[in-house]
Amino acid sequence: MASSSLTLISTSTLISQGAEAKVYKAHLTAAPSEPLVLLKHRFHKGYRHPTLDASLTRTRVAGEARALLKCLRSGVNVPGVRMVDAAEGVLGIDWIDGNSVRKLLPGGAGEEDEATSSEDEEPDPVDLLHEYDISVGVLGQLIGQEIAKMHLADVIHGDLTTSNMMLRHPASFKSRHSTLRTELVLIDFGLSYHSSLVEDKAVDLYVLERAFSSTHPDSEPLFASVLKAYELRMGKEWAAIGRRLDDVRLRGRKRSMVG
Amino acid sequence: MPGRTIPLKNPDRPYLALGLEGSANKFGAGVIKHLEDGSTSVLSNIRHTYITPPGEGFQPRDTALHHREWALKIINDCLAEAKVSMHDLDCICYTKGPGMGAPLQSVALVARTLSLLFNKPLVGVNHCVGHIEMGREITGAQNPVVLYVSGGNTQVIAYSRQCYRIFGETLDIAIGNCLDRFARVINLSNDPAPGYNIEQEAKKGKRLISLPYATKGMDVSFSGILTSVEAYTFDKRFRADGKPRNPNDEDIITPADLCFSLQETIYAMLVEITERAMAHIGSKEVLIVGGVGSNERLQEMMGIMAQERGGKVFATDERFCIDNGIMIAQAGLLSFRMGFETPLSKSTCTQRFRTDEVHVAWRA
Repeated sequence: MASSSLTLISTSTLISQGAEAKVYKAHLTAAPSEPLVLLKHRFHKGYRHPTLDASLTRTRVAGEARALLKCLRSGVNVPGVRMVDAAEGVLGIDWIDGNSVRKLLPGGAGEEDEATSSEDEEPDPVDLLHEYDISVGVLGQLIGQEIAKMHLADVIHGDLTTSNMMLRHPASFKSRHSTLRTELVLIDFGLSYHSSLVEDKAVDLYVLERAFSSTHPDSEPLFASVLKAYELRMGKEWAAIGRRLDDVRLRGRKRSMVG
Repeated sequence: MPGRTIPLKNPDRPYLALGLEGSANKFGAGVIKHLEDGSTSVLSNIRHTYITPPGEGFQPRDTALHHREWALKIINDCLAEAKVSMHDLDCICYTKGPGMGAPLQSVALVARTLSLLFNKPLVGVNHCVGHIEMGREITGAQNPVVLYVSGGNTQVIAYSRQCYRIFGETLDIAIGNCLDRFARVINLSNDPAPGYNIEQEAKKGKRLISLPYATKGMDVSFSGILTSVEAYTFDKRFRADGKPRNPNDEDIITPADLCFSLQETIYAMLVEITERAMAHIGSKEVLIVGGVGSNERLQEMMGIMAQERGGKVFATDERFCIDNGIMIAQAGLLSFRMGFETPLSKSTCTQRFRTDEVHVAWRA
């Protein structure tokens, strides 16, 4: 029995393959007015026992969809969920027209994950930012606000990097703001989970800080503006998280292996 | 590495090194030879394992005693097999760490004594780097993602700028530790190795029991899984002898089922984090080293994953996977040829010595 999700995938265009899933661009129905969706297919892993593989795939797809819905309900900018087929491991979400933040910042254009690096001529990040009519400082604020909104909803992203944030392209986005023509969208909730712990939120921020410093040289001021906006939005919850973030920084990855 | 030259020059004469390893329950000695054309030959590689009765692990004190008892015999055999004398050696390499304190110290003492007796320079070696270098030498893998899995370590490693960077590792106990301890719970023999006996037992298992699956990004955790699989031995469906009590006794869990489920779960976790590291750095090669690396099911699963990604898996057999002296000689001689020596006053050993603390001077 060929499932309808798999039929849909067979008619879609593959855009990239990560460690976990293959990503496709597709139309849910044949109607030309139908908006584009992005299909994320957690395909069967041959090395895993079929029972284990099926249960992992099911829980991960469902978990990702659940986190997205929770974000949507709390007003966090994330792609809307269009279809879930947990058994087959397919998640369909709104197609976001735009660029990943990684490509918009200096240093990020170089080594992009696998498939996307095929585009030879990467546009200069500075030109791209111009296209979005946004300054680096404002971009930092948007990132901080969005993460704060997500953490206020007790969703932990688990893999905050600049690759997992996108800016909507002004050409295809009607902004409600007069000054801002774009919007920041958080994507890839594959490692996300629900938690209200200060520890988890602080670690989430620390992961992002590490991602910034390893991909974008001299981005300390930018990350400072991210934190500033985050602090404003979090209100009185910030004090505890900020303190814990300092602790987590000291911890880092310096543990010694014994066991 | 394109664009960069390898700092290690071919030697102007053959070099010989003795390697001594004893960071856990194996004492190993090996003699390696580096030739003028850049090739390497293993002249001898001998090991003796301290085997404890079923249900028991090895204690540091007893293990150190074992090493002390066997060191001289093994080293003599090793030199005899290699047909070299102590005077022919260029350096004596020993394991500086990481490992169990007492066994490490007893081996370091032997190394220091030999160094003073025969006036040979000492080279302290990081155990993990020894595994990686020997794996690279034997398999010919150029720049692989390394999965290092043993009784004391679980790490996913990739080389970058003269350092073996740790991409992912265990957050609590090592995978081999998890297997060894479970073998004790179900009273499997420690001979030749608990992990080997779990592997044989797992071949008879049919039923996949649900266990926690604990990956966090590129890290893994095993302690909860161990607790969970142990708990099944108190389940009322558990039959310690593996046999049903009567013809209608169908819904049962046997030790073989638990071994099977444990292997399937924890190896799937390892393959998953390895795949993530490969995708992250864009590598197509995987090298498996460490004692658990000799497990054929793990090698098989890794092979399937690599094939799905269009890559290749490199693995070695138990002679080089399981702790041995030759890997210490190999890594030690590489750094000795780069001008590295450990002066007697610094010839200590340490239980904590991370893979990424070593300056890999011999690679581009």
